[in-house]
Amino acid sequence: MKITNPIKTGLMLIALGLTSCEDKLLNLTPESVLTPTNFYKTANDINQAVLGVYNSLQTRRQTDYLLMEVPADNLYMSANTTIAGSNDVDFLTVNADNALTAAFWNTTYNGIFRANAVLLNIDTPTNYGVGLKDQYIGEAKFMRALFYFDLVRVFGGVPKVVDKISITEAAALPKSTEEEIYALIVEDLTDAIAKLPARKSIATGRASKGAAMGLLGKVYVYRQDWANAKTQLEKLVDEQDYKLVSDFASLWKLESEDNDEILFTVKYVDGTNGQNLSTSYTPNGGLVGIADRGAETSLPSWSLMKKYEPGDKRKAATVQEWWTSPAQPNAEPIYYPYVSKYAVKHSYGASGIDIPVLRYADILLLYSEALFKSGDKTNALVQLNKVRERAFGNATHNYKGTEAADFTDLILNERQLELAYEHERWFDLVRTGKYLTVMAQEERLYNYAAKTPVVVNLTPKEFMKVYPIPQAQIDLSNGLKQNNGY
Amino acid sequence: MKFYLKKPLLAVMLALALCMSGRLWAQDAGNVSGTVVDSVGNATLPGVSVVIKGTSKGVTTDVDGKFQIQAAAGDVLTFSFIGYKKVEVPVGNQSVIRVVMRQDNTVLDELVVVGYGTVKKSSVTASVAKVENTVLDQIPVGRPESVLAGRLAGVNVTQNNTSPGSAPLIRIRGASSIDAGNDPLVVIDGFPGGSLGSVSTNDIESIEVLKDASAAAIYGSRGAGGVIIVTTKKGKSGKARFNFNAYAGVANAKGHKDWITGQEYYDYAVRYQNREYKWIGGDTSIPVWNDSRRPNAYQVSDVLKNGNNVIWEDAVMQSAAIQNYNLSVGGGNDHVRYYVSGTLKDEKGTLKNTWYKNYGLRANVDVTVNSVVSLGFMLNPSYSKRRFASADINNYVKFPSFVAVQNPDGTYPSARSYWGAVVSGQANPMATLDGSYYYGTTVNNLGEAFINLNLAKGLSFRSSLSTNLASNTTDRFQASWATSTSLNSGSQALSSTTSIANENVLSYTNTFKGVHNVSAIAGASYQKYNSSSSSLAAVNGSFNNDIIHTLNNAIINPSASSSSRSQWGLISYFSRVNYGFKDKYLLSASIRTDGSSRFGPDNKWGYFPSASVAWRISQEDFMKNVRPVSELKLRASYGATGNFNIGDFEYLGQIGDVYYSPNNTLTKGQTQTSYGNNSLSWEKTKSYDFGLELGLFRNRVNLVLDYYDKRTSGLLYNVSIPSITGFPSSLSNVGSVSNKGFEVELTTKNLVGEFKWETSFNMARNVNKVEDLGGVQERITTDTYGMGWILRLGQPMFSYYGYKIVGVLQNAEDVKNSPVLAGSVPGNPKFQDVNGDGQITSADKVILGNFQPKAYFGLINNFAYKAFDLSIAMQASVGAKMYNFENEYYQGALLGAMRRSLVDTQWWSEAEPGNGMVPASSLSKLTYQSSSDAYIEDASFLAVRNINLGYTVPSNVSQKLHLSGLRVYASLANPFMFTKKGFHGYNPEGYTGGEIAGTGSKPGYNNGAAPINRVYTLGLNFNF
Repeated sequence: MKITNPIKTGLMLIALGLTSCEDKLLNLTPESVLTPTNFYKTANDINQAVLGVYNSLQTRRQTDYLLMEVPADNLYMSANTTIAGSNDVDFLTVNADNALTAAFWNTTYNGIFRANAVLLNIDTPTNYGVGLKDQYIGEAKFMRALFYFDLVRVFGGVPKVVDKISITEAAALPKSTEEEIYALIVEDLTDAIAKLPARKSIATGRASKGAAMGLLGKVYVYRQDWANAKTQLEKLVDEQDYKLVSDFASLWKLESEDNDEILFTVKYVDGTNGQNLSTSYTPNGGLVGIADRGAETSLPSWSLMKKYEPGDKRKAATVQEWWTSPAQPNAEPIYYPYVSKYAVKHSYGASGIDIPVLRYADILLLYSEALFKSGDKTNALVQLNKVRERAFGNATHNYKGTEAADFTDLILNERQLELAYEHERWFDLVRTGKYLTVMAQEERLYNYAAKTPVVVNLTPKEFMKVYPIPQAQIDLSNGLKQNNGY
Repeated sequence: MKFYLKKPLLAVMLALALCMSGRLWAQDAGNVSGTVVDSVGNATLPGVSVVIKGTSKGVTTDVDGKFQIQAAAGDVLTFSFIGYKKVEVPVGNQSVIRVVMRQDNTVLDELVVVGYGTVKKSSVTASVAKVENTVLDQIPVGRPESVLAGRLAGVNVTQNNTSPGSAPLIRIRGASSIDAGNDPLVVIDGFPGGSLGSVSTNDIESIEVLKDASAAAIYGSRGAGGVIIVTTKKGKSGKARFNFNAYAGVANAKGHKDWITGQEYYDYAVRYQNREYKWIGGDTSIPVWNDSRRPNAYQVSDVLKNGNNVIWEDAVMQSAAIQNYNLSVGGGNDHVRYYVSGTLKDEKGTLKNTWYKNYGLRANVDVTVNSVVSLGFMLNPSYSKRRFASADINNYVKFPSFVAVQNPDGTYPSARSYWGAVVSGQANPMATLDGSYYYGTTVNNLGEAFINLNLAKGLSFRSSLSTNLASNTTDRFQASWATSTSLNSGSQALSSTTSIANENVLSYTNTFKGVHNVSAIAGASYQKYNSSSSSLAAVNGSFNNDIIHTLNNAIINPSASSSSRSQWGLISYFSRVNYGFKDKYLLSASIRTDGSSRFGPDNKWGYFPSASVAWRISQEDFMKNVRPVSELKLRASYGATGNFNIGDFEYLGQIGDVYYSPNNTLTKGQTQTSYGNNSLSWEKTKSYDFGLELGLFRNRVNLVLDYYDKRTSGLLYNVSIPSITGFPSSLSNVGSVSNKGFEVELTTKNLVGEFKWETSFNMARNVNKVEDLGGVQERITTDTYGMGWILRLGQPMFSYYGYKIVGVLQNAEDVKNSPVLAGSVPGNPKFQDVNGDGQITSADKVILGNFQPKAYFGLINNFAYKAFDLSIAMQASVGAKMYNFENEYYQGALLGAMRRSLVDTQWWSEAEPGNGMVPASSLSKLTYQSSSDAYIEDASFLAVRNINLGYTVPSNVSQKLHLSGLRVYASLANPFMFTKKGFHGYNPEGYTGGEIAGTGSKPGYNNGAAPINRVYTLGLNFNF
């Protein structure tokens, strides 16, 4: 008996453990994170999820220059930094294994997932304030349209995802045509225009009615649907209260980054929610009064710099040619061109200057193009000269419309000068087909003493109008086919 | 009790009598002296313990094997000595005794800890390795794992990071998991999941390693990476025995010998700039300095030859003092036994301003209440603090030599303060080292209380409750003058974890009819792990001054601050049966089932069975006459183990914080951050092991051979999924990896006379292979600079993947006529055109080797002559490849520090083509070589890890000092390291990219692993 008691005790202990512990040890719930089952329940959850959609673009926007400026004649990769895949973009030798296109694909579809999640769960909460449900729908649709617009411009036709899809479904999904993607974009933007509030009724950095109108106009221009483009942009110019600010340089200052010219911009705050782009363009040795160190990933091409006419105030706010080292602030400046558009005083890697997506000067130039293509060259010239006049501060440099054989060349040139480093140049060259001629040669580093630039010969090809679909995605899919030429 | 209470007087008298008895008895005792000799060769044996049986009274033999003791005629003297059979001699009327001791060739009766029990070494049916702590604590290494390097076959201990206090990497029979970790489970005195860093080597009794799955299966759920069992010292009955061990010494980093300075440095800088200038079509006849026709970016300032000649490696390194002290006392009586110890460790780093301090205590107490009940507890609080550098060493040593270490006014010049352009924009390395206050502290306590009940003959029950409490703090502050951005920064990260385990084991052991040995266990284990962490960071540049380093002096950055809590739970039931027939046929089988909270609702439970058999052929009658064979055993085993080392709640899609700043106001948003996978379950490893154990010539030669085949399937693998789902990958149970290999352990007693020589050699070969990736053939991770790490079917995990260099493009003609990467210029590599299509594309990438060694070896030689002993430990590794990306810094880039061996073989121009295989190294063309085998180097090595020379002071001398043993020793760690020609790293095992830790792993990537330290120490160890 003396012996069996402890056995009993032991067995009882084990039995006790069996029953009481299992639940406490195995069926635990996370204490610090929500899961899809308890999120998306309130209007505030949806608001948070919408901010999550913007966050996706905020993350990606900092490196968009690698696919949207580097291949064109505004920018080339510096010898001091290496970013995987950027050399191939710079020399127009991109292949399907490119790391930059792979990352772009992933983050953009992640943004689409986030926008879809908002739209799929929008009906769950019942406590929306007045107009907020419409606003969230409008924002999610605007963002989804913007993501698809970026995708279709970078890759051409891509899989259309508007639902939560399983891995099996995803692997079976083929590419939609460019037309189908554009149809979705137009549909989303049309609904967004109907649902979004006016720009002054919503925080800066969030989508407004004007942003959706402007983006839709731009989409029509890319579709070369000149009639709709003209109508849409005209409506925007007439109805909405955007205007060009008088001082071009003030667009790139922290205190005036929110202004009447901005239709949609990606917001950043120095230090806590900053962007890397300012640092990427800052010379390694830094800039006096701006940053003591930069990453100097890329440098401005002479192809762009030589086009600025004397008196064009945009030049100084876009590129600077003479550089002083913050380590030797009293030394003679040396010839060392760098991109200055985003050069504001900033913390390394976390600059507060916003990266615009759509501003009024862009709209006016698109409008000018739509007008010209619709046969109204006179009005087209008026719109074009609005931008021109602001750049020089007077009308003496205004175009007469006869400066070039093709009026669209004037517009394209003005777009390059006005929108350099705003992620428009490569797409402009592609949609007009000019990349085949313009990009055959790029003038890069300029030798100030010898007055000669370094000339790089490139071989742009028809198929390069879109980038290759990332090979890793093709390998994981049964439905995805590679773009022609790759 | 009653008895004493009723008759207090009697009790006092009894107690007095007891106290007195020793003295009374001593008076009766006479002087007994004698000599102890070895049965072979009659060599005298120093250090033999001579104890009067049943007492704690004893002495040890001196250097000549002589002893002297007070003993009475009725006493029995017990002679014991490690490696020898115990001898008992009744004193009788002898006054001089000559004792002959025989070497204990049946070390087979040694007990081996196998997890929830011990087994006689001869009865072990699985592959288990054991290291006893005889003098391991007298080898000056920072952590206990390090002493295992090269000592056990199949246990690869790699010192990736040599900075003070860093943990080495341990891999037992190769790595098999991609995302769920490959670290072995560490069991400290029965507590699963401890950290070896918290245990003092001095306190370790033995370390057992369960290598095959049949042994590790008893830890089922967590044994896939093997199991390391640490047993700490326990007190023994007898008078208090103190041990003091101390060593102190100095460590020196083994640096590079080929840094260049002055004119030589300047000449290469000019070559570098001219080569760059020529590539963009420049005229290199234009003077390199002070001629505006040459763009600034292509000039070379005169300061490069007229400046200082600083070798930064020398400037940032120092001779570092290390010291270690341990005092322990163990003793007790039949009822209570104790072992208490304290350790103090203080190590300076060879990189300036780095150090490590550790204070540890241990108390192990065992109480035998009566014949049924015994209980005890263990406590092991420890505290450690380290100061670490803010960056890897390459960031310091790559700095250009023309910059002074410090200005006379105490400020630190940067390279840019000499020359504003081109050169590195980073801060002065000494400024960074002096101005970065990075500290890590750990407070840890592993405690256990247990009760053991002897329920019946052979039947016992043990229940324990253990807690492992740990709290870690990392404080960082960097002064504005210590960084190139001139922005001060700071952060504080706190984490605390509590792990509570309750284990209950019923054990039974018995022998039936004298031939059937049966032992069995059944048990249940419950473990709960809670963690909480918080992290705060300052907005860069927001510290008001550089004086106050805590965050109250700054503005907190909300988007860089976080706080979280998490937990996991584990329930396990297990049972094992061992059966032996006549010690000849042995069988063991176990089953364990584990339930983990980390898996989805329907997949929480995993089952892990094992079985093993052994046949001791040497016990058969027909072998009895085969005299040379003293032991021959064949064994075979099969077992399954598991792995659940993933994050908590990963089966759920999780919602995480993200930020955006509408209206320039930082605002928190939320988003789903993982895809989620409700069917997530255990990763399982099934393995076979076949072993042979052979002892020859009364076990003077011992050979152990093992072959294993282990396959891990249902990998917890972050498998790539189409990113149109919103996520590029999802954790799934997909894929399979195998490890096959063999191990050899050969221990020989070469000389056994007065001059003793023992050798133990081991080697292991492991072949790692990806077997299945869930339907795809391969998966490649490409890093920023183009090197790929590939998972490909049939190949070792994470092989390097890139272009193969076959030469260097010499001129424009060569570029035109060779298959080249787009944009190639003369000086860029000529690659192998694998598919022969006349151009170099990603289709021409090939596997360029792997970070895992093909084989590794250990060799320990122990010599003893009279009072001297000498131990030499060597280690070798063959076939590992390292991606020494670090080389790039020393080849001229940014005109930083250069190494002769990396510049003189390089292509500089058609006239200076180098050795024809090393391409022009340039930042602007970096991917042309970093995506190839240019930096892949053979990391094979042969190292003498430690030489330890000891002298045991003769007992007559030590007794005069009132000591029962005194050994003084000198130790030299890492005296020699031989690497392959063409290896440029500091440490052939040192890589900075981590090992396998998920799909994006870059194992073997080295970008600044610290140098190996040669450590000279003197130590002493004494008992009293």
